[in-house]
Amino acid sequence: MNRKIKKNVMTCCIYILLVIILIITLFPLFWGISASLRDNSELFQYVTPFSLNTFVPLKMTIESYIGLFTDYNFLQPILNTLYVTIMSIVLGCVVNSVAAFAFAMFDFKFKNVIFMLILLSFMIPFEAIALPLYQVADGFGMVDTHAGMIVPCIASGLVLFLFVQFFKDIPPSLLEAGRIDGANLAQVFFRIMIPLSKPIFITAGLMIFMDQWNSYLWPLLIARSKDIRTIQISLTAFQTEHATDWSSLYAASILSALIPLALFFPFQKYFVQGITSSGVKG
Amino acid sequence: MIHLSNKRKWIPYLLIIPSFSLICIFKLYPIFTTLVESFIVDSQFTFSVFSELFKDDAFWNSLGVTLKLNVVMIPLQIIISFGMALLVNSAVKVIGVFRTIFYLPVTISLTVACLLWNMMLNPNSGVINSLLGIFNIPMQGFFTDKNQALWCIIIVATWKGVGYWMMFLLAGLKNIDAEIYESAKIDGAGWLKTTFQITLPLIKKVLLFVFIANTTSNLLLFIPMQVITGGGPQGSTNVLMYEAYKSAFKYGDRARSSAIVTILLILIVAACAVQALMLREKEKS
Repeated sequence: MNRKIKKNVMTCCIYILLVIILIITLFPLFWGISASLRDNSELFQYVTPFSLNTFVPLKMTIESYIGLFTDYNFLQPILNTLYVTIMSIVLGCVVNSVAAFAFAMFDFKFKNVIFMLILLSFMIPFEAIALPLYQVADGFGMVDTHAGMIVPCIASGLVLFLFVQFFKDIPPSLLEAGRIDGANLAQVFFRIMIPLSKPIFITAGLMIFMDQWNSYLWPLLIARSKDIRTIQISLTAFQTEHATDWSSLYAASILSALIPLALFFPFQKYFVQGITSSGVKG
Repeated sequence: MIHLSNKRKWIPYLLIIPSFSLICIFKLYPIFTTLVESFIVDSQFTFSVFSELFKDDAFWNSLGVTLKLNVVMIPLQIIISFGMALLVNSAVKVIGVFRTIFYLPVTISLTVACLLWNMMLNPNSGVINSLLGIFNIPMQGFFTDKNQALWCIIIVATWKGVGYWMMFLLAGLKNIDAEIYESAKIDGAGWLKTTFQITLPLIKKVLLFVFIANTTSNLLLFIPMQVITGGGPQGSTNVLMYEAYKSAFKYGDRARSSAIVTILLILIVAACAVQALMLREKEKS
């Protein structure tokens, strides 16, 4: 009996802690959503003193969301970002998976040296190379182009590594069987490997998506002109350009957070699997 | 491994050429030029860029801010995320919902996190000051107060970051055999003893990874300074990464910027080496 009480107390404590963290986690998001649904005149009215209306808008309106598209042309950065992310996902998956296929399936000279160099590249944090990378991209004429945001981010040591790990786990007997049946290498790759590798393609795609959608420093440096700006840059530019229009800024922030969230939820399982399987196992 | 006949030995090279050349051009070459630019001026090897840098008060202030930020933030984030991982690893109902929600800030960009918190922490019309008002705490300056700005950045970055590290630690915890806990329980080990003497040593590899990845990303933290404080007020949040950015893109001084990044890389390597050694020490004892 005593043990049961102790266990219940323990469970209670766990829930209390969970709920406290939950509140801290959700508070800014909830606050942002509620603020984005107010009009500007109401925005500051109920902040102090603290009351229920601090959180719940009196008049709900989605005007600030509509205004983003009608007044501030927020559609352009969303389309720019989508273009950059989709191109990066497609090219990134192709380039990295093909190379990973080579690393996982064949023995060749210098294989280990090259693989080590690729792994080294994913330990180099992007921020550390962003400034000299600008010079490289400038040399290729990529400043202020979409290509400048896409090409340097295609090859990724991390994504390649994930592909290699996954491909290695595919039983070689399956591939050998294909070879005996007369399939050539391309057929082995497309007919046997790819269908077996859907989860890793989803993980890789999501990782590239999150990286590109949320990237800030690189687009800030490389894509300066207004018409090719991505969403994160537009957001911060918005802050300086229209500092007074807070509810629109809230709306823009929430909108740019919701799009990856909408993608994250259905694929959550893969994404979490992906990051946790990236080479670290207890 | 698939065996290739001699005639077709070139195939793997063809397959890796696209990714390997991209990595060389856009990842390895820039890191190489960073090192070169900070040591070679007018095609001569020199430490002059560094000696200039070491005479500069702005640099020392910046280094101090960077160290202060990281000495607090790295342990803080790791302790919180480990605690969260332990919590969401407990077998209570609807734990999956909590886990997903704790992970939410990870999917949000740091930019958005900064914008939201910046508005919430606005000294005049922010909700946090209003919340503090309930407890009769006077209005605070937050990002506009030079004694508070850095701590506010720590709050924002921690709010946004801990869910990510929690997931890695959780993956480590999930890999621990439940039987080990059972036998510890039978031996009468309490919660504290179990956590420190069984759980922590068993997830050491994951812990090391989290330590290193966390250190790297925090030492290079840049967005909150760029989006919210601009390194201010009075240089109180002017971290090295932001100083490097300003050197290159505001003052057009690439050598100085490269030298600062080189120092950051040295700091990262040193911090990671220390952590790796400390974790190995524990293994021996």
